[in-house]
Amino acid sequence: MRKITSIVAALLLFAGNVFAVDEATQLFYTLRTKVLTVKDYTADIRLKIDVTYMRIPQLKGKLFFKSPDKMRLERNGGLSILPKKNINMTLSNLIPTGQVTVIDMGKVVRNGKTLRLLKVVPEDELSNIVLTKVWIDEANTLALRTETTTHNDGTVIMDLEFGKYIPYALPDKVTIFMDLKDYKLPKGVTMDYNDVPDAAAAAKAQKGKNQKGTIQISYLKYDINTGLSDAVFSKPDNG
Amino acid sequence: MISLLRIELYKIFKRPRTYISFGIVTAITFIIQLAMLSGGRDFIAFGMQGVSEQFDIQGHILNGYLVTYIILQSLLIHIPLLVALVAGDALAGEANLGVLRLLLTKPIARSRLVLVKFISSVIYTILLIVWLAIVALFLSLLLFGPGDMINMKSDAFVLILKNDIMWRYVAAFGFATLAMTTIAALSLFLSAFADNSIGPIMTTMGMVVVLTILSNLELPLFNIIKPYLFTTHMIGWKGFFDDPVPYAAIGRSAMVLVGYTVGFVTATILYFNKKDIKS
Repeated sequence: MRKITSIVAALLLFAGNVFAVDEATQLFYTLRTKVLTVKDYTADIRLKIDVTYMRIPQLKGKLFFKSPDKMRLERNGGLSILPKKNINMTLSNLIPTGQVTVIDMGKVVRNGKTLRLLKVVPEDELSNIVLTKVWIDEANTLALRTETTTHNDGTVIMDLEFGKYIPYALPDKVTIFMDLKDYKLPKGVTMDYNDVPDAAAAAKAQKGKNQKGTIQISYLKYDINTGLSDAVFSKPDNG
Repeated sequence: MISLLRIELYKIFKRPRTYISFGIVTAITFIIQLAMLSGGRDFIAFGMQGVSEQFDIQGHILNGYLVTYIILQSLLIHIPLLVALVAGDALAGEANLGVLRLLLTKPIARSRLVLVKFISSVIYTILLIVWLAIVALFLSLLLFGPGDMINMKSDAFVLILKNDIMWRYVAAFGFATLAMTTIAALSLFLSAFADNSIGPIMTTMGMVVVLTILSNLELPLFNIIKPYLFTTHMIGWKGFFDDPVPYAAIGRSAMVLVGYTVGFVTATILYFNKKDIKS
């Protein structure tokens, strides 16, 4: 009798795990479907780039996005600066597409909220994404944080805050943390004005190595699924 | 004093070679603008390699403000020569012509004569910088149009919005005038020792070249002396194109340049007052 009870208990535990795994996979697919319902949008944004070697004031502009990966920032004749395409600033680019393996990591509390943490591994070996961790608010089916490890661009962490556009899973504010390579030009070329003493400059240079960059985007207003044409994304001359 | 200054300015602007300087500034500016029109994109692409690996920068990068910055960077190495052409000739040129002794027979204090020659050199310098501003800034804006300006430093990439640039150029040209005034004072000082103007002009240029090399070499030995060289501080105008603007450092550089200028003029007066004028 004891033997049968043990077997039944083991089977129940296994079934529970299978069910949990299925539930996690289902949750991820539901989230991905929700994210991918947005085919394009135009948004008024404020962009703040906080990178050690970049000194850029807050930029205001219009951000155009078309699924899967077209993005352009327009700034009324001013320069636009965006991370390279492979580190796109949209959630749809940071969660794997196609067949995936989802691993349920259980519930975690983040900023006072209980979230479901999933690890998602794409089955496509050619994908730039190696692994994505997604922190999901189950009640609203929203990803509040993603941590994506890529083959070529290091790890990109994205924090999302939602408000007015929850039905479309479009955030009001996104903070992206990304790995950065070192930036250096020969001093003989730039002929820099040394505004700090040499010791301080050396310390500053050391501090600047292997830093993470932060890009913060505040979305003020969205126009969603208006059928943006590809012509909107044709690059203006860099002249 | 005013009439003496008027005579000095008349002497400077009567000479055709004075206008050669304005011609040279115009020619170099045109050449750089032409080069930027034809191959500016490659130049920008080369300079932005480090940033464009990770960021996609789009828009009118090669605009009038950036071209002006490139022109200023190139010209502020050549302008000391043009300033020295006039300031180095101020006393030595008159000695060479044999009129200095005659001039000093007039009831004019020698120190006043030196001051007038210095002030007239400064006026010439200001006019040269104003001309540079006109041909470099306004012509570049006309040819390339306005836009946000990027400034590529050795360890930083600075973006300045287009509505925040013009005041920086006004300040930069002001600072450049101060730097060139120091060169005028140095040339005048050297001019007091010579009986022909070639010597002070060449010595000024030689000093500027050698000290600029010392100011830019990243060697521990030179790092000790760098803060004391006026050439280190002559590029203080670049500070106005940083974010945030290093006002304290620019102020220090301005003080050093003023100190050198006052020192050179004072030394010129002291030496010239005691000099035995033989020609």
